[in-house]
Amino acid sequence: MNKTMLGYVPKESPIYAVHPFVKLYFLLIVSLFPMFVAAPEWNFLLLVFILALMVISRVDIRIVRIYIPVAISMGSIILISYTILGGRHPEFQVIFNLFGLPIYWERVRDAMVVYFRILPMIATMVFFLSTSRERDIIVAMRTIRLPFVVTYVFAMALRSAGMVLEDFQIVRQAEQARGFDPTGKPLTYKIRKYIMYMIPLFALSLRRSEEFTNALVARGYAFTGEASHVKRADYVLTHYTFKTHDAIFTTLITLAFIALLIARYGLHYFSLDHSWFIQWLHAVLS
Amino acid sequence: MSTTTTPARKELTAEQIWTVQPGERRSVGVIHIVITALLIGIGFVVGSFGSISFPLGFGVNFFWTGIAVQQVGSIWFGLWGVIAGTIFPFFSNAIAGTPFYISAAYIPANFVQAFLPAWAFRYFKADPRLRSGRDYFILLIAMIVSSAFGALWSPLVVLRGFGLLTTESVPLFVWGWFGGNVVAGIVFNFILLKALSGVVIRTPAFVKRWWA
Repeated sequence: MNKTMLGYVPKESPIYAVHPFVKLYFLLIVSLFPMFVAAPEWNFLLLVFILALMVISRVDIRIVRIYIPVAISMGSIILISYTILGGRHPEFQVIFNLFGLPIYWERVRDAMVVYFRILPMIATMVFFLSTSRERDIIVAMRTIRLPFVVTYVFAMALRSAGMVLEDFQIVRQAEQARGFDPTGKPLTYKIRKYIMYMIPLFALSLRRSEEFTNALVARGYAFTGEASHVKRADYVLTHYTFKTHDAIFTTLITLAFIALLIARYGLHYFSLDHSWFIQWLHAVLS
Repeated sequence: MSTTTTPARKELTAEQIWTVQPGERRSVGVIHIVITALLIGIGFVVGSFGSISFPLGFGVNFFWTGIAVQQVGSIWFGLWGVIAGTIFPFFSNAIAGTPFYISAAYIPANFVQAFLPAWAFRYFKADPRLRSGRDYFILLIAMIVSSAFGALWSPLVVLRGFGLLTTESVPLFVWGWFGGNVVAGIVFNFILLKALSGVVIRTPAFVKRWWA
């Protein structure tokens, strides 16, 4: 595994044979799928499909474990929001009482629908972060012809995030060397003392901005005026070519999305009325 | 015996800080692009701390440290800070597991949270070094109003729009977003401005108007 600014990516993976644009396109389009699907079983199927893609891409599944607390906390919030904080609705069907609070079937059903919509959206994001190196994202941005300055700012931002993390460690060690020890102190104390990291971090970044600028100016970079109109060689793009299989993947994603829209709005599929999972859950809880 | 003394640097007034002086040339330069990237980088790291450590859910946090970068950065660096403040939550939310389109829908909230303090300081000619009670007051009001907009937009428009919350649970998220931003802002913004503004306003990166 290699560490990137946004996560961990496998050292070698068949996904690297896919053009970075296809991965970005997958993130942008497939993230939309759950919004058009109400039936939880279909969204669960999409989740399984994305997890299978991760396995095929040799993503270390232990990475997914990092996101389990996120998924659990989101699930809990959704469930509490819909049931305990859901208010009183005499028109709804009560399935049981929790300490005198009625829990309604309609609320539990809606919570499940929403939760199963969110899970594939999170998985799509995790899949993208676990298969895209920083350079891949830059290549994807250059492929869709984003202006050079936008790509450059993005690349610099990722680089500077790495430097900020290094600076953070340096500042922390310097403060520990001066006797600062927050071990065993309450959270409020740690939060207040966090400012001791923020001021040096900002100060170091301001100094770095001048160093960065001098280096860029010395290399002839300009983002405004005459010099900015010079056509640049897209060196990074020379390492990536958009092959036939990339075109096929892009077409498949597009067709899948169109098919989904037709099925949803033309044929009325993926609705709650057709969901066997919801019918089964209703039978279990009623 | 004669002694040589270095002449003291003339202290800038709040009016002078925001006004382009006669003969002073200010233009957009590479440094502004660099500062935008660096602010995105700092915001990414600092914002992730809040997103991971104090999550309420869907990118809403009880204590969001990123607000300091969003608001202080925009006061110092104008629209470059606003751009950075609008973009970096995308990254800090992403690694905390917030879906792409929810992060995208937060853009107006993050934009206003970054823009309003920058506008208030420029419009009312407040001193970023916080020399008077008026400066503190303007910053506090700008923080409260901008966070209130974010706190209303995000749960009411975004999370309700995506069907993630019921009407009854919206107040928890409104107060979570508002409190998480304002408390973090009170802890960090005042000290950062007080400690560093004196230096920043004399650097070429400082933005007097909106772009330069």
